[in-house]
Amino acid sequence: MYAIEALSLSKRFGDIQALTHVDFSVNVGETFGFLGPNGAGKTTTIRILTGISAPTEGTARIFGNDIVQETIAARRQMGIVHETSNIYTDLTAWQNLMFTAEMYHVGRTEREKRGSELLDLFGLTERKDDKTNGFSKGMKRRLTLAMGLINDPRLLFLDEPTSGLDVQSNLIIRDVIRDLNEKDVTVFLTTHNIEEANLACDRVAIINHGRIAAIDSPERLKKTIQSVQSVEAAFDLPAPPEPEDLEQIPGVTEVIKQGDKFRLITEDPSAVIEGVMAFAAQRKGRVISVNTLGPSLEDVFIRLTGLDIRTKGVKTVD
Amino acid sequence: MTDLAGCCGELVSELTAAWAIAKKDMLIYYIKPNIIVSGMLFPLFMFLAFAVGRPAESSVMIPGLIAITILFSASSIEPVSIPIERRMKTFDRLLSAPISLHAVVLGESLSGFIYSLGIAVVPLVVGLILFPTPITNIAPLIVGIILTSFCFATMGTLFAAYPTESPGDIMSMLNLVRLPLIFISGVFIPLSQIPDAVRFVTYLSPLTYGNDLIHAAFSAETHFHPVVDIAMICVFILIFQFAANRLYKKFNE
Repeated sequence: MYAIEALSLSKRFGDIQALTHVDFSVNVGETFGFLGPNGAGKTTTIRILTGISAPTEGTARIFGNDIVQETIAARRQMGIVHETSNIYTDLTAWQNLMFTAEMYHVGRTEREKRGSELLDLFGLTERKDDKTNGFSKGMKRRLTLAMGLINDPRLLFLDEPTSGLDVQSNLIIRDVIRDLNEKDVTVFLTTHNIEEANLACDRVAIINHGRIAAIDSPERLKKTIQSVQSVEAAFDLPAPPEPEDLEQIPGVTEVIKQGDKFRLITEDPSAVIEGVMAFAAQRKGRVISVNTLGPSLEDVFIRLTGLDIRTKGVKTVD
Repeated sequence: MTDLAGCCGELVSELTAAWAIAKKDMLIYYIKPNIIVSGMLFPLFMFLAFAVGRPAESSVMIPGLIAITILFSASSIEPVSIPIERRMKTFDRLLSAPISLHAVVLGESLSGFIYSLGIAVVPLVVGLILFPTPITNIAPLIVGIILTSFCFATMGTLFAAYPTESPGDIMSMLNLVRLPLIFISGVFIPLSQIPDAVRFVTYLSPLTYGNDLIHAAFSAETHFHPVVDIAMICVFILIFQFAANRLYKKFNE
C-alpha cells in the first residue's frame, strides 16, 4: 500500500485546466518533494490530496482511503502544515495546540501529553501561555508545525516549511523532518527551496503547467542533464574581471557572478579550466580557487519547467 | 451492532469537534468590537428607534425586543469570524480537519447560538424589571429563545459562506435580509393587521414564527399554534444548515 496515490487527477476551474492527469505515488516512510513554479498546480494538488477540493477527474488515495469517498478516514491519518502560519493569534500556543488536537479527535490525556512534548521539541515551552500575536515569524512557524504533528500523523503535508525563517527555526524544522523520516512518517514536502528538497527528499516530482514533468530521486534527475556542468572560479587580478570578459573563454556558454566567484556554464569543464588559467595569466594575476560542479537540482528544475532566469546558457524545454 | 457503535462514535467525534470550534470562537470573537456593536448595540438601538413613543403594550413590545435581539445577536458572530479566518487562513484548518462540513457549520453556528442566548436575557430581564410583563407560559419562551437563536445563528453561518475576506461584505448582504424581516414578521405590526395581499411574505420569515412563539409566553393570543411555530423554525434550521453545507462545499472548490 502507498501512503499517497494520485490517480489521473485533473482539475478544471472554468476555462482553466489547472491539473491534467496527474499520476504519482508516494511510498510509506518516504520524504517526497513536490516542486514547481508558481501557478504550476502545486496548491491545487495539495488541496485535492487533503480533501479540501474535489478533482474534476481521477481520484487520490491516502493509505488506501479514497480522498473523495472516504475523506474523513483519509484525513485522520494526516497532519497538514499550510504555507501560511495559520495559527489563532488571539489564542495562546497551548490553546492553539489543544484546539487542533480536539479537531483531530485526540483524547484529553494524550493531547496534553503530546502538546507538552511538542512545545519542548520546538522550543516553545516557556511561551506556552502567551498569546501568539507576539510571536516571531519563526516561532509561529514552529507552532504551526507542532499543530500539524499533534495527532501523531502517518503522513505530513509540509507546504513551504522553512520559507523566510531565521536560522534557529530552520535548523529545528529540518531536524524534525529528519526525525519524522526515521520514524517512518511519510512527508509530502512542497518547497521553493530546491536545495532543501535535494537534501531532504528521497524522490521529487516536478510539476509544470498542471502536468508532472519528472519524478525521480534528486541524483537521478541530475544525471539526466549532465550537459549542464560548470566551473566555479575565484581570481586575484590587478583589475576585477567582468562576466563579459570570461564569456570569451572557449567553451563557456554563460557566466554567472556569485559573490566573489564566477560560475562558468559549460559542456566541457576541462577545456574551460585550461581557459581560466590562461585568462588569469594573461591578466597578470592568479586563480585563487577553481571547482567543477555537476548540474544541481535547480538546473533540472529550470530545464524541466522551462524557466529561463539566466537569459541564456541553459537551454530550456517547453 | 458494530455499525451502530461506529455511527455513534462518528457522531460523538463530529459533535466534539463542533463544540471545539464553538469554544474557539467564544474565546476569540465574543469581545471583538464589531461583534459587540452588531450583536448588542445595533439591536438595542433598532428597537429604541422603532418602539419608543409608540403606544404598544409591554406584552407586545418585550417579545418583539427579544426577537430582534436574537435575530441580530445570533447572526452576528459568523459573518465576522469566518471572513477574518479566511483572511488569516485559519479557516483552512477547519476545512482540512477530519470532520464533515456539517460539523463545521454546526460548530460555527453554536458560537452565535450561545452568544445570542446570553444577550437575549437582557431584554427579558429589562422587561421583567421595568415593565409589568407577566410571563403566562414559560415553556414557549424557553423553546422560542433556544430555537430562534439557533435558527438565526445558522442563518449567519449560511451568509458567511460567501467567499469574501471582508466582514463588511457579508454584513451588508445580511442586513438586506435582516432589516426587512423586522417589518414583515409581526414584530412591530401584528400579523393580523398585515394586508392579506402581502401576508404570504410573512410566512417566509423565520422571525415570524420565532416572534409568535415568544409572544405565546406573554399572551394567549398568538397567530399560529406553538407547535406550528416550532415545526417551522425547525424547517428553517434544516434549510439553512443544508444550504450552508452546500455553499461551503461549492465555494471551496
